[in-house]
Amino acid sequence: MSYRLYGFVTQPFRVDLRMEEIKLETVTSVGKVDSSFLEEATKKSGEDLSLCYQCLKCTAGCPTAPYMDIRPNNIIRMIQMGMKREVLGSSAIWLCVSCETCGTRCPNKIDIGVLMDALREMAIKEGVPAREKNIHLLHEAFVQSIRRGGRVHEATMLIDYKLRSKDFMTDLIPGMMLFLKGKIPLLPSFIKGREEIKRIFERCTKEK
Amino acid sequence: MDYLYFPGCTLYTKAKNFDQTARNCSLLLGFELKELKNWTCCGATFPLATDNIMALLPPSRILATAREEGTALTTLCAICFNVIKRTNRLIQGDVEKRDKINNFIEKNYQGDLQVLHYLEILKKDIGFPQLKEKVKKPLAGLKAAAYYGCMLLRPFEEMEFDDKEKPALFEEFLEALGAKAIEFPYKIECCGSFQSVGSPDVATECAYKILGSAIKNGAEAMVSTCPMCTFNIDHKQSDIKQKYLDFNPIPVFYFTQLLGVAMGLDYQTLGFDQNAVDPIPLLKEKGLL
Repeated sequence: MSYRLYGFVTQPFRVDLRMEEIKLETVTSVGKVDSSFLEEATKKSGEDLSLCYQCLKCTAGCPTAPYMDIRPNNIIRMIQMGMKREVLGSSAIWLCVSCETCGTRCPNKIDIGVLMDALREMAIKEGVPAREKNIHLLHEAFVQSIRRGGRVHEATMLIDYKLRSKDFMTDLIPGMMLFLKGKIPLLPSFIKGREEIKRIFERCTKEK
Repeated sequence: MDYLYFPGCTLYTKAKNFDQTARNCSLLLGFELKELKNWTCCGATFPLATDNIMALLPPSRILATAREEGTALTTLCAICFNVIKRTNRLIQGDVEKRDKINNFIEKNYQGDLQVLHYLEILKKDIGFPQLKEKVKKPLAGLKAAAYYGCMLLRPFEEMEFDDKEKPALFEEFLEALGAKAIEFPYKIECCGSFQSVGSPDVATECAYKILGSAIKNGAEAMVSTCPMCTFNIDHKQSDIKQKYLDFNPIPVFYFTQLLGVAMGLDYQTLGFDQNAVDPIPLLKEKGLL
């Protein structure tokens, strides 16, 4: 299936074959577009996504774009087309590292980093399984580490992450090297007033 | 003059050499970094989605406790600087969120704190010409590439650190130390950040592009302000070497380590044993040790 058919700007570099796997089910026919996803994403991110005229500056500057299944400019186009399932299920939203190069360069002042964060939250809320599930698990392990001691402790955080992701072998040797260089202390440093941290966490998750 | 100082989690674990050298150098420059009491993690990413209050609470709590102790807060880690400064701006400008945050953290903080980076103190309060006079051992002949990364600069309206595409502050700092600052196009490019855990290949590629560009432009060493960037461009070099056989590793310094060398600190206190690529041969070659 060709993207040109739907008015997509084809990529100027390195066409990713995985693009072909995405089924365009939501778009039933040209001229019939469900705008509810566009409205939802606009509201959640606070960015005016209809301003995008596909200049590709975001994608050209994006450090992780070559590894994304859908490039940042196409994410915006697909939101305009109402392709909610494809966008929320993409690996792109999880590969964005919020470096903000896109937002700095966008001539229409659309901050795509903000949009990506909003899309990640929407994906979690809607229960769409993350295409890059390890990144989501890392975020969870990170928050748990703060919840435990107020400060992040890399050793226990990474053990937690490894248990969650069940990926024990990757980075085992660099991790051991860091440990041997004395970069990762064995015991976490806890702060005074951990009760306060616990209380803030509990109230925030309850009232949110 | 003393500065209230927020180290951040990584400077207590992975980047101890960054923290220690900064503290030692500040004493030689005539000020002290006074550590904030009972600090917590800053949250490590500024929440961009509009309704994520939870992620705003750790930096807000840090700001509120810092305000009880002083009027300015200094950071070293570029990520902490980014998160805390942006949260401060948000609290200043958004009354509704400010009230909500204050309710959760059980404090009353109005956003009237100044958030500083160590480099800003060196530039504005000490001054690079004065710094140059204080240098005991100029880094003559060292060609270093100043690597900014993302967090110091972007988003530039909020960070107000330097120019968004062509910053120069870091280079001015290196020139003040007597080194030759190399210009290279990837100095503001992202290092791949936390992808080094979830998708290590992505981060390795990003690091290769940055290092390759610096080496091509004549750099003998990289200088960084961020523990995350340093992990990606320093510790990933062994992975890069495996993938690209023609790649020659170069040492990556924290800017305070080079400051320490220039200020004449004993090299054993500079924590070079924690750098992944050993910088000692290069420094010896340049006659700096």
